[in-house]
Amino acid sequence: MFFKIAIRNLLRNKRRTLIILSSIIIGVAATLIYDSINAGMIDQMLVNQINTYYSHIQIHKKGFNDNRLVTSYIPEYKKVEDVLKKQKYITAYSNRVIAFGMLSSANSSAGISMIGIEPEREKRVSDIHKMVIEGRYPSGKLNEILISKRMSEKLEVTLGDKVVAMAADINGKVNSELFRIVGIYRSHTGEFDKVFVYVPIENARTILGIGDNVSEIAVITSSADSTFSYKKQLTNALKDSGYKTADTEVLTYQESLAMIMYLIDIWKQTSIIIYLIIALAVLFGVINTMLMSVFERVNEIGVLMSIGMKNSAIFRMIVLEAFMLGLVGTVVGFIVGILIYLPLSHNGINLGIYSESMSSMGLNNIIYPELNLMVIINSLVVMPLATAVGAFYPARKAIKLQPTDAMRYV
Amino acid sequence: MEIIRLENISKIYQDHGIPVQALKDVNLEIDKGDFVVIAGPSGSGKTTLLNIIGSLDIPTEGHVFLERDNLTHKKKRELSAIRLRKIGFIFQAYNLLPVLTALENIEFSMMLLGLPDKERHKKAMKIMEELDIAELANKKPNKMSGGQQQRVAVARAIVNDPLLVLADEPTANLDTKTANGLLDLMQKMNEEKNITFVFSSHDKKVIDRAKKLFILKDGMIVNGN
Repeated sequence: MFFKIAIRNLLRNKRRTLIILSSIIIGVAATLIYDSINAGMIDQMLVNQINTYYSHIQIHKKGFNDNRLVTSYIPEYKKVEDVLKKQKYITAYSNRVIAFGMLSSANSSAGISMIGIEPEREKRVSDIHKMVIEGRYPSGKLNEILISKRMSEKLEVTLGDKVVAMAADINGKVNSELFRIVGIYRSHTGEFDKVFVYVPIENARTILGIGDNVSEIAVITSSADSTFSYKKQLTNALKDSGYKTADTEVLTYQESLAMIMYLIDIWKQTSIIIYLIIALAVLFGVINTMLMSVFERVNEIGVLMSIGMKNSAIFRMIVLEAFMLGLVGTVVGFIVGILIYLPLSHNGINLGIYSESMSSMGLNNIIYPELNLMVIINSLVVMPLATAVGAFYPARKAIKLQPTDAMRYV
Repeated sequence: MEIIRLENISKIYQDHGIPVQALKDVNLEIDKGDFVVIAGPSGSGKTTLLNIIGSLDIPTEGHVFLERDNLTHKKKRELSAIRLRKIGFIFQAYNLLPVLTALENIEFSMMLLGLPDKERHKKAMKIMEELDIAELANKKPNKMSGGQQQRVAVARAIVNDPLLVLADEPTANLDTKTANGLLDLMQKMNEEKNITFVFSSHDKKVIDRAKKLFILKDGMIVNGN
């Protein structure tokens, strides 16, 4: 009967109920859309970084990421490979040699980060082969180079042109090698495209004079969500194999992409602030509505007290009314949000006009909103809670009334 | 058998900071099966006295005993439970809950007692038939006449089988015929079911039916009974 009374009380002033209900519906739908766009952006940013270069786990010589020295190659990397092959959760890995250098054409030159890759194995740990927009992905033949569109524009070169890559070798001597451009790629990250070029790993080893060593092993696991657990397992497995792990570091993508993870964290915190603002707006709306509702029913509350209804029950009754308001608003708002979300998640939101800044953040022009469990929980929990909390003050006001005063109230 | 005993009850209100003596040294006893009328002119303290008997208000001085249980220092929660189980209220303005039908209004206090759905529905229907208001079961108060609403209020007041029913000027808003009908009904309940009624009224129709009469003047009882 409490539910019946709550519903009927809400329907007493339909216009007022509809106004507050609309604010809850808009609040929930806006929260859901905002949150799902955020989730989509965060996910896209991470996936782009992982698929372009970072993979799930990277193995280096300890401190490699600090200065990326040529001499910082992985000690006895073949032993590491032997361990990797035995781990069931590792679905693919690929060796890389990395060096800073310079790429020159007849017209210009640019600083580069040269990645020596095993082309076929690299295909299994990154999507760079899918990002080729002109020409082809390196076949594995020596002296083939894959450069970005941006780099090609800077060097004023095109497919089939020759370029010279220079880098200091392990002894500090500058070596160079002539390459023919076989492919031009465009990734989702402008900053990446500025410097990264791909050459066969043998060429990179020759330029750097590091023998058959590697600077980095990129690893793909069976689940991107379990990388920390896999890192632990892999570190233990390396130790168990007798490999000296003290000189090596195993990094998850979360650790390699610390700046982006930090950015994501800030993004999440901002979302919380936005929830709070929306929840506060609804909260004050509910306080106002319920206060009006209570003051309109002072007489009735007096009667309820007279016939023996306990204060706690009156309190619950008023909070229940607000909670139901929140619940109905949330359900409808959620449905409205989903109806907006579905076409957006299918077609995406084209932010092409912000192409430059999107690319600098590692984002595509089209964002696909994503509905994950966190988004759903946020949308479904925040508003009913805010409305119930918003009713506390009016409910407290109600139970502070004296039955005799309330009955006399006009 | 004594149900209510008031000992030296005084009540002083603060009206905008000015103390107003509503009751002064009131002593009375009400027995099981009484049909009591507290009469007196407007402002004599009738409603205040009724509120104190019904534990809706607390006296400034003195003690209220319900079945020899002193109510004076009981907590709000305890007084609510006492009102729910032992006291029925009938108000001048009927005061039915506007969002509930007649049947639901009667069922409401049984629901507060925790009676199961079926039982309270059966009991409410039975009492409505007894009071000849069964056809009002699904009507909301705004679709009923004053007399009909007051009959529903009577049903609500007696449905939990209270020790006593307090009626504050129950006929004030009714025409003579309806008022007489309602009083007949309550008198019948009193005679047949031995329900104790306490009225506050200055209506002659009510006073004439009193088995016990207390006349209040300036907050004091000026007759024995």
